[in-house]
Amino acid sequence: MNRDEIVNKVNDMLMQNFELTEDKLLPSSRFVEDLGLDSLDAVDMLVHLENQLNVKVDVEKFREVRTLGNVYDLVYEMSKELT
Amino acid sequence: MRACITGMGAITSLGLNVREMYKGLQNNDCNIKYYEEWKQYNGLNSFLGAPVPSYDIKYLPREVRRSMSRMSEMAFLSTIEALKQANIDLEEVRKINTDRVLLIMGSTTGSPACLEEYYRKLFENNGPKGQLSTSFFKVMGHSVAANVALGLGLKSPMISCASACSTSSHAVILGMELIKTGLYDMVIAGGADELHYTSACVFDTVKAACTQFMDRPQESSRPFDKDRAGLVVSEGASTIIIESMEHASKRGVEVHAELLGGAYYCDGTHMSQPQQNSMMQTMKMCLNRAGIPPSQVDYINAHATATSIGDIEESNAVASVFGNDTPVSSLKGHLGHSLAACGGLELIASVEMIKNQEIIATKNLIEVDSKCAPILLLKENEKRKVNIVLSNNFAFGGMNTSLIVSRPL
Repeated sequence: MNRDEIVNKVNDMLMQNFELTEDKLLPSSRFVEDLGLDSLDAVDMLVHLENQLNVKVDVEKFREVRTLGNVYDLVYEMSKELT
Repeated sequence: MRACITGMGAITSLGLNVREMYKGLQNNDCNIKYYEEWKQYNGLNSFLGAPVPSYDIKYLPREVRRSMSRMSEMAFLSTIEALKQANIDLEEVRKINTDRVLLIMGSTTGSPACLEEYYRKLFENNGPKGQLSTSFFKVMGHSVAANVALGLGLKSPMISCASACSTSSHAVILGMELIKTGLYDMVIAGGADELHYTSACVFDTVKAACTQFMDRPQESSRPFDKDRAGLVVSEGASTIIIESMEHASKRGVEVHAELLGGAYYCDGTHMSQPQQNSMMQTMKMCLNRAGIPPSQVDYINAHATATSIGDIEESNAVASVFGNDTPVSSLKGHLGHSLAACGGLELIASVEMIKNQEIIATKNLIEVDSKCAPILLLKENEKRKVNIVLSNNFAFGGMNTSLIVSRPL
């Protein structure tokens, strides 16, 4: 997957499972303040990323993410490791 | 301290509020359906159920809805209706931060639909892989109470109770008792259960579910009738707002009925066989606690679920306490058996009967089973003086309850 594909797939996953609209999904969007997501959502996001993008994200690294841009980067990094 | 009802909420197979439920009862309606898709389940012989019509809960924030199963959603909706009738809006509830209000609600188990999904995934993945963070919050025993509290944003004492078909009547009786002790000013009491084939499985396994009338679903639930063939599962939610008379009066809110007394009394005899002696003891204890003789009761709302033994045992118990002159009916012919919701729903219907001075008869009761005691079982709705009602609910494990409610004095 290239970075654009990852951005699209992560955004689809967020819209599908967290009732977010596309206009809110910016790389600068902060999880808590801008997207209204919390710790339970973060746990679910890991499950959805694995199920829908087939990417197993490192939990410790995921703890550090604060923005959607951080998620794109992390998923991109993990997907590269897989290949 | 006297306890009264100031708000009622009902989500049933007959409609999404108290008015729709009661109108359906007056019209002798029934929404029991045949479920062809249940035929895929090995060993299941009962394919009947009464679903609640579709409802909208999207107005709740996602972070509240995400841990709600269907039963929690319905319990939230019935609670909103009950609070509204008691002149309390959601904004006011969110300001509650007191030890004087108690929430007490429950269900038979956590959501059966979500339990099935949870364990299916657990077995498929040979472990917890893939479980969402909210999965357990939908299946835990106190899911309904916790989710209603979350939906309301309530900060107050809360208890969860679970006694299957007696759940909401237990909640109401306990709430009433605690109000009478002076410990609380207001109790939000109720119960909910959702329709699922596993509920039919439970009753079918012990040969208590209806396995006939598949071509005539609306005639399938027929309490006390000689052709009855077992109970039909349904779903719903009931919420009752109970207040001390002083608190209701201080708030200037309408009192719909007074809760005179209640009793719960266990069998300790058999897990599934109804025992007339315990039923009798429960009704006597309830009368004693309400401080009234049997002759003052104008109507008995029977639990009668249309099982072969339960209806006979209850008729015998009623006959031994009340004789043969007090009108009796069951609402399971209209509503099916909504399990944890039914006690509250039948109490609400009883209050509406008092308001309307009429008795709703048992639907589908054509010819009374000769094995039932010769009590006064109504086959047609009747306009009658109804000021005091006793309502029974019984559950597996010998969980017997009786409640007495009266026109406000």
